[in-house]
Amino acid sequence: MASIEITSPHRPRTLPSLRQIAESAFPIIAIYFLMWVVYGLVEPSALSLYSIEALFNNSLPLMLAAAGATFVILQGGFDLSVAGVISLANVVVAVMPMEGPLGGVANLAMVVAIGLLVGAVNGFVVAYLRIQAIAATLATMIMCKGAALLILKAPGGFVSDFMAYELTASFFGIVPIAGVIAVAIMLFWAVFRSTNTGRSLIAVGQDENAAALSGIDVARTRFTSFLWAGAFYGAAGYMLAAQTSTGNPNGGDPFLLLSFAAVALGGTAFGGGRGGVTASLFGAATLMLMQKVLFAVGVSSFYTGVVQGAIMILAVLFSAFVLAVTRQRKSR
Amino acid sequence: MMQENEIMSDATMDIEDKRSSARISGEFVTVVMIFGLTIAMILASRAISPAFGSWSQAETILYLGSFLVFCAFGQGLVILVRGLDLSIASVITLGGVLTASLMNGSNEGLFYLVPAILGACVLVGTISGIGVAYFRIPPFIMTMAVGLIVYSLCLGFTQGTPRGYPAPFLSGFMQAKFLSIPAPIYLLLVFVIIGTVLQSYSAFGRKLNAVGNNPLAAYIAGLPSGLLIVSAYAVSALCAGFTGMMLAGYANGATLRMGDSYLLPSIAAVVVGGSSILGGQGNFVGTVGGALLLTTLATILTALGFEQGWKTIMEGGVILIALIALRDESFAFLREQFRKRG
Repeated sequence: MASIEITSPHRPRTLPSLRQIAESAFPIIAIYFLMWVVYGLVEPSALSLYSIEALFNNSLPLMLAAAGATFVILQGGFDLSVAGVISLANVVVAVMPMEGPLGGVANLAMVVAIGLLVGAVNGFVVAYLRIQAIAATLATMIMCKGAALLILKAPGGFVSDFMAYELTASFFGIVPIAGVIAVAIMLFWAVFRSTNTGRSLIAVGQDENAAALSGIDVARTRFTSFLWAGAFYGAAGYMLAAQTSTGNPNGGDPFLLLSFAAVALGGTAFGGGRGGVTASLFGAATLMLMQKVLFAVGVSSFYTGVVQGAIMILAVLFSAFVLAVTRQRKSR
Repeated sequence: MMQENEIMSDATMDIEDKRSSARISGEFVTVVMIFGLTIAMILASRAISPAFGSWSQAETILYLGSFLVFCAFGQGLVILVRGLDLSIASVITLGGVLTASLMNGSNEGLFYLVPAILGACVLVGTISGIGVAYFRIPPFIMTMAVGLIVYSLCLGFTQGTPRGYPAPFLSGFMQAKFLSIPAPIYLLLVFVIIGTVLQSYSAFGRKLNAVGNNPLAAYIAGLPSGLLIVSAYAVSALCAGFTGMMLAGYANGATLRMGDSYLLPSIAAVVVGGSSILGGQGNFVGTVGGALLLTTLATILTALGFEQGWKTIMEGGVILIALIALRDESFAFLREQFRKRG
């Protein structure tokens, strides 16, 4: 069935079916650009280079977090440690700023290493000790938050000029670096999804037993997904520090909810086996853009949460609805 | 009599020695261990300060822990039916904010405001439950989203700063003493008894256990699974709203973040108390033990002068250790060891 679709190497090229379109990143990309049109109409000044750059910079941390969460969700797990790792990475960068591009790379390496470490703990406990992912990652999230508080008690610290100014600027003054990073991740995912690791990730999410029977090391696939997730969370904390130019031990808290909302909005199925990183990136970008649009049309910022929560529920319902409709068509 | 009993029990012990290993239930061991650990910690804390290890410290722990026990009961029911309630923090805030702003420092209308406020909370829980049970939305997504919506509504309703005071009756009750024991401790006792009966001995509780244990079997047996799941979420929201009301009475006002420090501990208390996070197993007495253990730990760590960071790390560590220790494999190992000795 669905697993054949993904693993068959030579599919005859025909027009994509309704289901394939609905399950791809296409709907969320369409929604994203539609929202830009609305935003541009409501507030024409939004289309200036400055505000586009600012929006990209605002969105990138959430996009990275959502990308990381997607790896775990695709194989059928959940990872709540996202909030903890982002906070931890954020404060680590803010108390140990290193100047220059090399310093920036060193900082990035540090936080990615932290993310990998937390991911390894999560992966070990979930994949090998077989403890429920939500509960285990809840515990590691709390521990990371504690570690972040130990490093920095209150918001403070500062980041290197390289991160604060150069990373958040634009190439040649017209191409926002944040946008380039996002495109790079999409390209990475396009390659990754057809590698063995990528395929086994989705196979495990679709049917764990079938995957195991066809020779996939399920535990190792799970473990790896947490590693990727941790690395992306670390990078998200890094970009959050670059964007805010400061460290905040609670900076990761809003990401817990928003990263899941972004993944849901992108159409990736909770429970695994369906979706992708590109869709989540657009889901995250759409969420951030939506905040701006809501503000532009005059919704009080107090009520942004109502819209975000409602969209999260609707996105999950819509995704389930599409699946049900397309399944029905197929069985007919 | 005493002697006879002792001899009797000795004799039965001898006879049943080999079987005793097989009879150790994981739940029972956990409950005994947790209460033992809590009491040992309170007694050992005498070494830190003479004010500790006393009855008055135990009283404080019971008082402060009661808020966690209230909301952990609801969390436990939701976890029992294979769910998770992440809206608890927001519903506590909702209960607190409504209590402060609607009561507005007067006892007037107390008799209809209390049911109205709790009713609003139950409505929130019912919505979460319907989303989970009938629309098949993953529990933690549904409750997280509903929590976000409720919090956002509280924010808008109060315009960022909650005002007002709870009824004097409520704050009076929180400070009242009866036979030199704080009144809320009696409330805690009554709550624990009702909660235990409801979860483990009532028809409702047994049905919830059945749904959590094996939803398919429960469905085939003709249980209204959907309705039962919705009711678990509704009870959870009711308990959270009640916690918010009591907290508002305790602090004589409400804040928008008053629920935050109860969400994660409520899950921790349930898990530490020996309930399976996978659902279908657990009892409220264990949860109460878990809540008191966490409260005791927090009190002692504060007294020892640990930073907030260390306290948070240990809180997470306790959950992780409990999860690893309470796996079925661990109990199988424990039983094996007992058997070898027997």
